[in-house]
Amino acid sequence: MLEFHLKKNLVVATGAVQLSVDLVVAQNEFVTLFGESGAGKTILLRMIAGLTQPDEGMISVGDEVWFDSRKKINLPTQRRSIGFVFQDYSLFPHMTVVENLRFASCPLSCRAGQRAKDADAARIRDLLKTAGLLGLQDRRPHQLSGGQNQRVAILRAVLRQPKLLLLDEPFSALDMDMRLQFQEEVFQIHKKFGITTIFVSHHIAEVFRLSDRVAIIEGGRIARSGPPSQVFGERRLSGKFTFTGEVVEIVPDGVVNILTILVGNNLVRTVATDDEARDIRPGEKVVVSSKAFNPVVFKI
Amino acid sequence: MNILRGTIVDIESSQAVSLVCIDVDGDQFTALILEGRKGPVNYPQGVRVDLIFKETEVAIAKGISGLISVRNRFPGRIQQIESGQVLTKIRLDYRAKAVSAIISTPTAIGMNLKQDDKIEWLVKASDISLMRVG
Repeated sequence: MLEFHLKKNLVVATGAVQLSVDLVVAQNEFVTLFGESGAGKTILLRMIAGLTQPDEGMISVGDEVWFDSRKKINLPTQRRSIGFVFQDYSLFPHMTVVENLRFASCPLSCRAGQRAKDADAARIRDLLKTAGLLGLQDRRPHQLSGGQNQRVAILRAVLRQPKLLLLDEPFSALDMDMRLQFQEEVFQIHKKFGITTIFVSHHIAEVFRLSDRVAIIEGGRIARSGPPSQVFGERRLSGKFTFTGEVVEIVPDGVVNILTILVGNNLVRTVATDDEARDIRPGEKVVVSSKAFNPVVFKI
Repeated sequence: MNILRGTIVDIESSQAVSLVCIDVDGDQFTALILEGRKGPVNYPQGVRVDLIFKETEVAIAKGISGLISVRNRFPGRIQQIESGQVLTKIRLDYRAKAVSAIISTPTAIGMNLKQDDKIEWLVKASDISLMRVG
């Protein structure tokens, strides 16, 4: 379990803001921090990672205290069990894929014995295989696509099986197809390793797809939080006829597309224009909303 | 979907239903929402909202006169017409903002709609959803 209560005075474009956020995240939970740019989401991640010092507060993971301003505890980044993926993946350019991973698992200062090194090599091989990157292990970052670079970055982040995975807009540099594929991989990695994950995004579709819970940050505070369907579906939109469902099929027909969506156990169909349907793929979660004034009701 | 951004300027509520007036760059829109004075006040005056309505809920009119019960009625100019066998999509320029309508192809032909035509577009208050910005 991750728990933090953090305060930090920030100077942003609109003036001074006090960031004051309290959050408890269950083990294995996937929580998204959502808000406009400059809301303080990245600073929060940096404070959890130990890259930025909070003005006051505490951070604990399980029974370990990482930061406590009163007790003057402040664990350095390397002693916090975290994996971090930023928007720009920043692999070491002079190292190959496998060297980048090896370095993350055992930096130059590491004096692990041969047996530990062999175990690491086997694990790296395993991960590369899972991610379909085995054939690229001897390439350098500039010989890889953006998506491949980002996949290596996430493998690097989970290599040491951290207690906490911090993702700061890791998909934003990718094109739409790559984005969807990579989201799926991140989701699988999160599930497979059971790593508590904090994700920063302002892209509603991916927040829906990935998060157990979303916390909206406004004016330096958590304005509201809950499952995405509740936070985005019911509260933001005035439609009272709002459901979440999974897209089963998209069939183009003239100037529109017919979407078949599974809502609970019922298949519903609706019409969407090309613009609306462009970012949606079968298998994705969507919100279906209509005005409450439109449906007709029959007694059965 | 069509999205226009505006600011709530007035609300008239009964027990469970409210008529919300929204200013969009000087034009006044009305949306009917199922939220009365007793419900949670998600849409107070002064709040920025997106007005959301489907293309299929937009009607197109040419030279209409008399009274009509549709409150949201604004000028536009046809930018592009894309015709399918049954449905036609019409992209409109509404005071430099984009609004689209989907109407039936026979109607589009019957009204003799062409690019650059000046028309009026209409949407019922009960067909507009509101979404708080931010």
